[in-house]
This record gives sequence, C-alpha cells and structure tokens, in this order.
Amino acid sequence: MSSLREWIRRLWGTLRPKRDDSDLEEELWLHLELAAEEAVRAGHAPEQARQAARIRVGGVAQAIESLRDQRGLPWLDHLARDVRYALRQIRRNPAFSSIAIATLALGIGVNTAMFSAVDAVLIRPLPFADADRLVMIWDDDRGRTGSRKFFSTPPEWDEWRRHNTVFTDIAASQPGDAALSNNGAPEELPARKVTANFWSVLGAEPLLGRVFTEEEDARGARVVVISHGLWQRRFGASPDVVNRTITLNDNPYQVIGVLPREFYFMPARDIDVWMPAAFSAAMLRNWGWHDVHCVARLKPGVTLRQASESMAALSLQVTAPHFNRPRAAVVVPLREELAGKTGSSLIMLLCASAAVLLIACVNLANLLMSRAAVRHREVAVRAALGAGRGRLIAQFLIESLVLAGLGAVAGLALAIPVMRFLETLVPQTMAAVRLTLDWRVLAFSAGIATAAGLTFGLTPALGGSRRALQQGLHDGGRGSAGARSHWFQHALIVTETALAVVLLTSGALLLQTFQHLRQLDLGIRSERLLTFVTPLFRYRDFDRRVAFVNAELEHVRAIPGVVNAGAISRVPLTVNDQATFYILAGQTGAQAREQVALSRVVTRDYFATVGARLHEGRFFDASDQRSESPVAIVNESFADRNFPERSPIGARFQFGRWGSKNYWYTIVGVVKEIRDRGVAEELQPTVYRVHEQADQTGDQPSGIVVRTAVEPTSIVAAVRAAIWSIDKNQPVARVQTLDDIVARQLAVPSQNTALSSAFALLALLLASLGLYGVLSYAVTQRTNEIGVRMALGATSKDILLSFSKRGLALTLAGLAIGVVLAAVAARLMATLFYGFRPTYIPAVAVVSIILLSVAALACFVPARRASRVNPLIALQHE
Amino acid sequence: MLLQTLATLGPLHGYSIAARLEQVSAGALQINMGTLYPGLMRLEQRGLVRSEWNVTDTNRKARFYSITAAGRRQLAAEKAEWDRMTTIMHALLHDQS
Repeated sequence: MSSLREWIRRLWGTLRPKRDDSDLEEELWLHLELAAEEAVRAGHAPEQARQAARIRVGGVAQAIESLRDQRGLPWLDHLARDVRYALRQIRRNPAFSSIAIATLALGIGVNTAMFSAVDAVLIRPLPFADADRLVMIWDDDRGRTGSRKFFSTPPEWDEWRRHNTVFTDIAASQPGDAALSNNGAPEELPARKVTANFWSVLGAEPLLGRVFTEEEDARGARVVVISHGLWQRRFGASPDVVNRTITLNDNPYQVIGVLPREFYFMPARDIDVWMPAAFSAAMLRNWGWHDVHCVARLKPGVTLRQASESMAALSLQVTAPHFNRPRAAVVVPLREELAGKTGSSLIMLLCASAAVLLIACVNLANLLMSRAAVRHREVAVRAALGAGRGRLIAQFLIESLVLAGLGAVAGLALAIPVMRFLETLVPQTMAAVRLTLDWRVLAFSAGIATAAGLTFGLTPALGGSRRALQQGLHDGGRGSAGARSHWFQHALIVTETALAVVLLTSGALLLQTFQHLRQLDLGIRSERLLTFVTPLFRYRDFDRRVAFVNAELEHVRAIPGVVNAGAISRVPLTVNDQATFYILAGQTGAQAREQVALSRVVTRDYFATVGARLHEGRFFDASDQRSESPVAIVNESFADRNFPERSPIGARFQFGRWGSKNYWYTIVGVVKEIRDRGVAEELQPTVYRVHEQADQTGDQPSGIVVRTAVEPTSIVAAVRAAIWSIDKNQPVARVQTLDDIVARQLAVPSQNTALSSAFALLALLLASLGLYGVLSYAVTQRTNEIGVRMALGATSKDILLSFSKRGLALTLAGLAIGVVLAAVAARLMATLFYGFRPTYIPAVAVVSIILLSVAALACFVPARRASRVNPLIALQHE
Repeated sequence: MLLQTLATLGPLHGYSIAARLEQVSAGALQINMGTLYPGLMRLEQRGLVRSEWNVTDTNRKARFYSITAAGRRQLAAEKAEWDRMTTIMHALLHDQS
C-alpha cells in the first residue's frame, strides 16, 4: 500500500520534480556546513574541519546522485533520455530515417487497413445471439449437380428437424415475393419466407412489436416483420407502423414487428420483408423442391465436427427412400457462409501484407546492422563510460521502437484511403460496414509496430552491443564485421527474396485468373444493355400474363434510343437458380432424377436483344405459337451432355416432374453458352422455352433486357413511364446495366488482383533495395581488401564478377526457396481461382526473369563501384 | 530509527537527525548523507514523514522533517515487530542452553 504510494510519487517525481536539484543540493551543503562547524567546535582548524566533515558524512555529488534515483524512477528517466537520444539520431540522419519511416509506414499502414477489413468480416461478432454456434445445413449434392452445397427441400428440413440430436433447433427459409403497392410508387421488395422458429434459432429480437408465432406460421397468417431500412424509408420510422395493414402482392398483410438496424441474414443484406414460411402439407412432401436455406443452432457441447458427422449420417438415412442416391448433408459455420470467398481473399491479402511488412523489417534490420557497424565507435565510448550491455541493448531497441512508432503514425494516415477501398470488398451477404480506426485497429497497429520494432531492432542491438563490449575502442574500424554477421545478413536477403517471389508468383497467378475471368465469353454482348425486373404476380392468369409481357415490351421498344427488348425468367448473370429435372425420349423416370437443367422462359426477341449466338438450328420465331407440340432451345452444355458427337436437333424431352401430362418439347436450336448463373460460376445444362408455349409451368418472364443505342441509364425514367402507362401498380425493380452486374461480380477478383499485385511490386522493390543495401555496404566495408586484391593483380573485371556472383547467388537461393513456397501458397489459394487453373510454370518463369533482372541491377551498381576502387586510395583509406 | 528520532524530538532538519542518532548510539552509528537523505525522501514518498523549509535556531534556512500520523502508526507496528523478533532471537540464543 505505502510502496504503491511511493511508486506513484516517484513516477510523479520523474515527470515534474517538486524538488529540483538545487533544492537537494542546498540541503546537503547545509548538512556539510553544520558538520564542519561542529568539527571546529571540537577544536579542528577550519580547513581540516571541512575535510573531516566531508569524510564523515560523505560527498555531496554521490548523495545527490542517490537522491535523484530515489526522487524518480531511474529506468523511466533512462527511457526518456533514450527516446530523446533516439529522436536526435533520427533527425541527424534524415535520409536513413525517412527511408526507414516510409518503409514502415507502408508496411504498417497496409497491414492496419487489411486488419480492419479482416476484423469487420471475420472477427467482429455477428448480430445474432451466440453467433458462433450457428451453422447452415446444405444438401451434399456432389453426386448429381456437382455442387457440395445445394439447397435442401422442405421435407428434408422437416425430417432433419425431427430426428437430429445435435441441434437445439433448425429453421428454414425460402425465397419470397413481396411487391408493395398501396403506399407510394409500387415496389418489389426483397423478401424471405421463414419458419417461426427462425427468430428463436438466431436469437433475434424485434425492435418494435413482435415476430410471428408457430401458430401463425402453421396457418399461413398474413403477417410480416419488416426491416429497419424499410421502416425508415417507407413508413417514416413511425412507431405506429405495428399493426398497420399493407398491401403485398395485392393481398393485405399486417405488419407485426420491425427488426433492429443491424439485423440481416442470408442470402442478402437488404431483405426488407420477412413472412411466415407456412409450408403446406404438400410442400412438406415435395422432395424435388430445392430452394430451402436451413440454419441451425448447435446444442451446448456439440462440436462442428460431431454435428457434421451426425447430420451426414442422418441425412443419408432420411433421404434414402426419396432420392435415387441417398444424400448426405453439409454443415457450415454461419460466419464462413456469410464471408464466402471474401474470407479467403482477405486472409490471403492479410498474409501478403504481413509478408511485405516482414520484408520491410528485414530491410531495416540490415540497414541498422550496417549502421551499427558504422556507429560502433560511438557505442564503444558509451560502453567505456560504464554503460552496461543491458543499457546498450535497451538504447538500440528504443531507437528502433521510436522509428517503428513514427512509422506507425505515418502508416495510420496511409491506412485510411486503403480502408475506403477495402470497404467495397465486404461481401453482399453481410451488412455494409464503414471501416474506421477504432480501438481494435489501433491496438493492432500498435502491436505490429512494436513487433516490427523488436524484429528489426533486436539483432542489430544484440550484435552492436556485443561487438562494442568485445572490441572496445582500440579497433580501428577496419571493416571486418565478422563472418557471423555476414552470414546473418545473407540469410536475411535470402528470406526477403523468397518472400518477394511468393508474393510475385501469387500475384501473377491471380492476374492470370482475373484475365481469364475478364475474357470469359459471356455468350452475350454486355455493353449498352439495361436490365430490370417486373414481377408478374398481378398476372397469374397465363393469357393475361403473355398479353402484358408483349405489351410491355412493345411500349419499351417504342422509346427513342431503344434498339430491342426481350424478357427472360431470370436476368442473365444473376445467380438465381431455377432448375428442374428432365427426361429424354426413351429414358426411364429413374434417369430423370439424375438430370437437372436450368430452365428459362424467354420472349422471341430475347436472344436477338442480348446478342446470343447460335451453335446450330434456329432461334424462336413467329411460328412458335401456343401449341400442344412446343419447341425448345438448349445450350451447348445440354447438347454435349446428352448428345455427345451428334446433333440434338429434333430430339425430344419432357420437362418438370415426370408425369404423363407434360408436353414433349422438340429441340430446334442449340445456343452458344450464356453465363446465366454468373461470370465465375460453372456452366450448366440449360433449356430455353418461348413464354407463349410455357403455359404448364409457373415460369414467368419477369426479367427484362433492353438493348439501347444510347447510354442505357438515360432511358430509365422513360421505361418506368412506359410500363406504368399500361399498369400503374406494376413494380419496376432492380434496374441496372449488364455491365454493372459484370463489374460487381468481378469486384472481388479484381480487387484481389489489384491489391496482391501492388503488394508483390512493393515486395520486389523492397527486396531489391535490401540486396542493393547489403552489397553496397559490403563494398564500403571491404574497400581495403579490394585495394589489396587489386594491388596484388586482380583486374576490375574480377572484382566486378566476385561481387555480382555473390549477389546473384543470394538471389538464386531466395528464388529457389520462394518457388517452393509459392507452390504451397498457390494450393492454399485455390478457391480464389474460381475453378480456373492458372498455369504455374509461365508465372514462375516471368517472376524469375523479373527478379533476376532487378537483382542484377541491384548488384551491378555496387559491384561496379567496387571495381572502380583505386587501389592507392583504398589502401590509404584508414 | 529515523521515525523514532522524529517522534521523540519533533521536527528536525537532516543534520540534527544524524547528530542525534550518532549521540544516542554513542558514536557507533555514523550516517552518511548518501544514506540519510534518500532514506528521508523514501519515507516522505511513502507519506510517513513530511518536510518543509524553515529557519533553525541559529537562523539558517533548513529543511525540517516531522512525522505524520501514518508515520506514527508505522513506527508502532515496526517497533512491535522488532520486539517480537528480539524476544524470539533472545529465546533462541540464550534460553536454549
């Protein structure tokens, strides 16, 4: 207790001494005088008396020194002195300091920004209670569609929920439709249908009102819970929105609750309307209806692995009677699901930025070692004056830490623009974030700055202090830093070269992938193509629907600047799957269960509008009217899968569930692949039908594509007006150009590529600077030796070669290690290649050539300087 | 020791503390300035004594130290502890034989 008090006083004493030195001194002098006076009284002569007093009570200087130590905290004092000294050193060597600080700022800034993104996407808690216990459950469909995570069906959800032993509960959600029409302009709202236990599984509480009950879900009550965003936007954040009746899909629904602002859930951050799933008895028996997301909460104590094994086994059992091939289930943590590919790319980028920082540290360590050698005289003086090894090391370390601290401050300034860029990387499935320098990020950057300071400062500190104590003052500074420190510096160079090679190679592989993605043939011409969605829930009757769609397209085509317009069930390149089984003439029903094709309903002008190309046969034309013998167009995947080596034209297939009532479709054309599911998604067999012949299924051509001669966004208002002139309550949703869709899908790979290439170039630059630094230092250090060798007959060519060889040997060693590491890295990054296999050899070859030429340059400059050494001057260089 | 001196004699400056200790110990205890003043400073930092500049009877400016209430408590505690120790030591060294 009292010693804590002492400590605080001493701390205070260091910061603002209450009693300064003169105060202490005055007290001591008085003591001495009084002692002397007493000696005089005892009969000594005044001179002798003073002497005797001094002997008896001790010296003033020593007493002052111990008083000072007692007054403050000596180590804090030393620290302050070291920091001041370090700052002076930094000011004295502006070139070295600015290089060091700039290098560190780059390293720390980039790492800070990357960490803030990783923190937002992968670390920060999700807005659900105990979110780490939440998982998604998928069908393992590798055997059939090749997809590891396929949507499950309502009956699977029901069976899993009833029989599983590992979850407290499982909730299901399905896509929903919600077109709001009574409150301002008609609008299509993103909606999901969820089971009543969805809320308890997530542990979500509404901000206002309540969520729906089991009973409401079971009877399909028309109640909805709305998002915070919708509440603000359409209902003016009014608290009496609860219990208000709104019109969705032309039906009255009662708003019963509003969710908090931070709530979101798969598959998108902007779901506005949550309605009861209300699975009918028929739906709960429909084993072919694959559109369900299942989310579950692990029971306490159950691990992910146990849950996965138990669910896989359970699923095999419950699906056996219903699927041709029993299907396992896949359990994925919700966090991983939400972060998706962004998670792996962020981790890759964080690793890359860490490697850049490491290279920066290695460089600085090298620089400091070189400088420590230069400064060893100064250090030796300090050692001779009584500085212990601990104090010397502390002083070296504090210098590095001060550098790191300054680098961190500069780095934070640099991090902010990088963070703005990274915000766009946050996946669409998660809430939008604004990355800020909050305390976690600041703590992280303080941590890495300290780590960096210690990393690059420790070795030179140890080395510098050791040498100072061993060699002392007598060493004339003739450059032999010793084989040991050369060895160490060389190891550093090899390390940083290897890291640079890894970064360059990964960058090259990502670049290849990105080029590949960009040059993918989309199957359609994306420029000047406007897309939007007109939900057709108001036109349930087939004839009215066909009439409306045709009228709508007619009106849109009449707008000036429009070249053509067509409709399709899903806007191309959006991932909304809509697939069904099919059966070819002559096949059995059992085979159909193994065959899935995407199904699209289009208008006759659709293919012409998007600029699709024909492989063989024909597109739809005016002869394809409503008929008992409809026609179909298939894509190349469909043709290749079912008709290898022969033409599918004229072949017939049946569609949907294998009933006898279905039409037989005749294939009249094969279209070249259109990437209907997304730029980076795999191609799948696809069947296109003309909407006028699609009366037997619910497929609705609600996605509209418009080819324009003018800037597509300039006609949006005219398009809305044209559609509302037919039906003023028709929502027009998700207006975007196809170029935007493509750009958004390429955003993650393009940013990955941009950032990793930037990191790779930075790494290359730093590594070559490091090589250059070490070699030029060696040249400076060995000037004497070079002089001797030249005096003994070595030509300047020999000298040039000997230095270049050394640099190149280091580079080659780094290259060899780097290539091996890069192969490992490439394997870890596989998911970032989007199924594309970038070619490794050319990437490595290009990287090697770049690295070797840069390294050659970095070696050549100092080696040439060495070869130009004048032996006479060199030998006088003492 | 320092505390006891201050407790008995009231406020004193450094030299008279040293003189008093020397006198009481009959010259056996000569205290160096380098020991005395840091010791006083530590006691002050712990709040056991306080000090202020004042004028001596010979009209000199000097820093006078005086014991605080906490100092008295500490003194009592230490004295008790010391007595206990000496009793034990005494018992060990003399009564055993």
